Amino acid sequence: MVETGIPRLDKFLGDGIPAGKSMVYFNHPGVEGDVFGMQTLYHNLSKDISCVYITSSSNPGLMKDYFTEFGWSIRKFEDKLTIIDAYSSLVGDLSDEKYIVSDPENIENMNEIIIQVMKDVPKKSVIMVGSLSTIMDLCGEEKTLEAIKLWNKMTLMYDHVIIYNFTAWPYSKSTIHAIKDKIFNSVITVGGIAERVIFGQYFGVLKADWADHKAQSMLFRVLRPGGIKIYIPKILVTGPFDAGKSTFVHSLSTRAISVDRLGTTIALDHGHIDHKGFSADIFGTPGQERFDPIIKMISGEALGIFLVVDSTAPKDFVRAKQMLEITKGYGLPYVIIANKQDIPGAMSVDDIRSQFNIPEDVPIIPVIATESKGVFEAFELLVEKITGGA
Amino acid sequence: MDGYFLGLDKLDENIKGIRAGSNIMLLGPPMSGKETIINNIVYNGLKEGEAAVIVTTREPGENVLQWFEYNNLEIPLEHIGIVDCVTKTLGVPTGDTVNIKRASSPVDLTGIGVKISQFLEEFWMKKNLRKTRLCINSLSTMLMYSNIQTVFRFLHVFTGRVKAAGAIGVYLVEEGMHDDQAIATLKQLFDGVIEVKQENDEHFIRVVGMGLKPSPWYNYTIDGADLILIGGD
Ligand SMILES: Nc1nc2c(ncn2[C@@H]2O[C@H](COP(=O)(O)OP(=O)(O)OP(=O)(O)O)[C@@H](O)[C@H]2O)c(=O)[nH]1
Ligand SMILES: [Mg+2]
Repeated sequence: MVETGIPRLDKFLGDGIPAGKSMVYFNHPGVEGDVFGMQTLYHNLSKDISCVYITSSSNPGLMKDYFTEFGWSIRKFEDKLTIIDAYSSLVGDLSDEKYIVSDPENIENMNEIIIQVMKDVPKKSVIMVGSLSTIMDLCGEEKTLEAIKLWNKMTLMYDHVIIYNFTAWPYSKSTIHAIKDKIFNSVITVGGIAERVIFGQYFGVLKADWADHKAQSMLFRVLRPGGIKIYIPKILVTGPFDAGKSTFVHSLSTRAISVDRLGTTIALDHGHIDHKGFSADIFGTPGQERFDPIIKMISGEALGIFLVVDSTAPKDFVRAKQMLEITKGYGLPYVIIANKQDIPGAMSVDDIRSQFNIPEDVPIIPVIATESKGVFEAFELLVEKITGGA
Repeated sequence: MDGYFLGLDKLDENIKGIRAGSNIMLLGPPMSGKETIINNIVYNGLKEGEAAVIVTTREPGENVLQWFEYNNLEIPLEHIGIVDCVTKTLGVPTGDTVNIKRASSPVDLTGIGVKISQFLEEFWMKKNLRKTRLCINSLSTMLMYSNIQTVFRFLHVFTGRVKAAGAIGVYLVEEGMHDDQAIATLKQLFDGVIEVKQENDEHFIRVVGMGLKPSPWYNYTIDGADLILIGGD
């Protein structure tokens, strides 16, 4: 299996792409879809897998620089990377590459070089077509579709995996149909959530003929450096007064602010976290009952909840359940944070579960928020639940 | 008021503003001051507190900013986004700045599109600016690298985005560089055309398609950064 290196995507695909298969990143114009292909390429290079990159819209040097924007220095892997330069001739530049398409507007010429390279590189290489839409723009839709079929067939013969970046400009209906439904083993859509402007980006598996995939979409962000991270716009942190919610938000976050007065939260806590391929905004509510209307206001559109309890204050657990109700937490994925485990007399996870009848499928994590102990485990678990990985 | 004014007095009076969401071609012969016209349109928007996204295919992003500086025109940098399609092709190793995002070449329409979208998002979502002028200078350069269908598809998407965002788009085209068929194809995407012509060393400008009938031709001269319209009525 060839991994895509995109968080969650490999899981959706059933651990990656089998040898011989083709995949296209079907990118809506204006979204950063090309980063998907780049991340996949870098991921495989760094695992010492032989890769081929066909560059059609920039020269090889610039293409390598572009990778470094994300912190991916592909120059380290020069011996593993074969570049097909299908750009330089187009603008009349000379090229130092071994494989040059001298007439990128001629699909026969493309075919010739690509097939030659597929034969020359070791079996089970990853072939990356940097910009399929550019090839299509230069060579025509029909001819390019025919060529893709040929490249996919050769990929199967040589046990490679071939991956395409494609920007879905308004090509003819039949071309779009062929790309979405017919000629690839797998299609990953990368789209934008647009109102007046594109304000969010998502990806999802549209097709993967080898896997029993779920039709689920993930929001993502592109970090420089870092690349594609799954983005979770809202995770809520709630729980009784003084349970340690603000402390929890701060211990988890790369940056955070709280609106507190005299040590108690009167409006909210907000933190942002980047951790292991995931990027999330977390919002902590106040705990005191007089703020219940605010808690309701903050809770809308949350995708998951941390319910923080003070393990030394079991009397507050009724209030905790009530808060879960106020936030409409039932129905959303949630994780219970059994905080203040460092204080003598703190109840254990098992005791909490049995005494308060917590269902087996609701995780309870022992945490010491003041020492950041257990907080990242809790985050990973909740994210698993939110993104359908668990 | 959700309309726009070009900031070219007599023309604006004649056409009574431009509807939000409009896309306009700026068509004229070489050396006729189109550059100054487009910069004036940008500057007039900025003066009104609007934002501007400028796609430059002919000179580096820095030069675009320098024009304003050189002419002593103060511009709010936080309202300006430049998509620079030139610098990287020159082989100069320069990164992005707050105002300038660099595409790898004029062929890289995917990259240009991403950067335009990012600026539109930034101005609308983060800076709460509700009016933006998108200027592409020029379509003619893009057409040197990509064929007409390719540029048409690109524009089809982005004229649509301009409409959705309630912005206006101004797209510069060099007259005489393309056949009539190409110009006619592109015109389908636009709501109107700002036409520039030259007769015996004199320059004229008018707007077609933004009102019931074309505006009169206005004689104009350029003084430094200023565009002065004379006559016409
Ligand atoms: N010993 C110990 N103290 C903790 C822990 N977590 C939080 N605290 C302390 O508990 C007190 C309350 O913490 P906060 O984070 O302000 O609690 P909160 O839930 O935000 O409180 P409200 O906003 O007032 O509802 C503070 O004094 C913290 O230092 C922990 O894991 N161990
Ligand atoms: Mg608090």
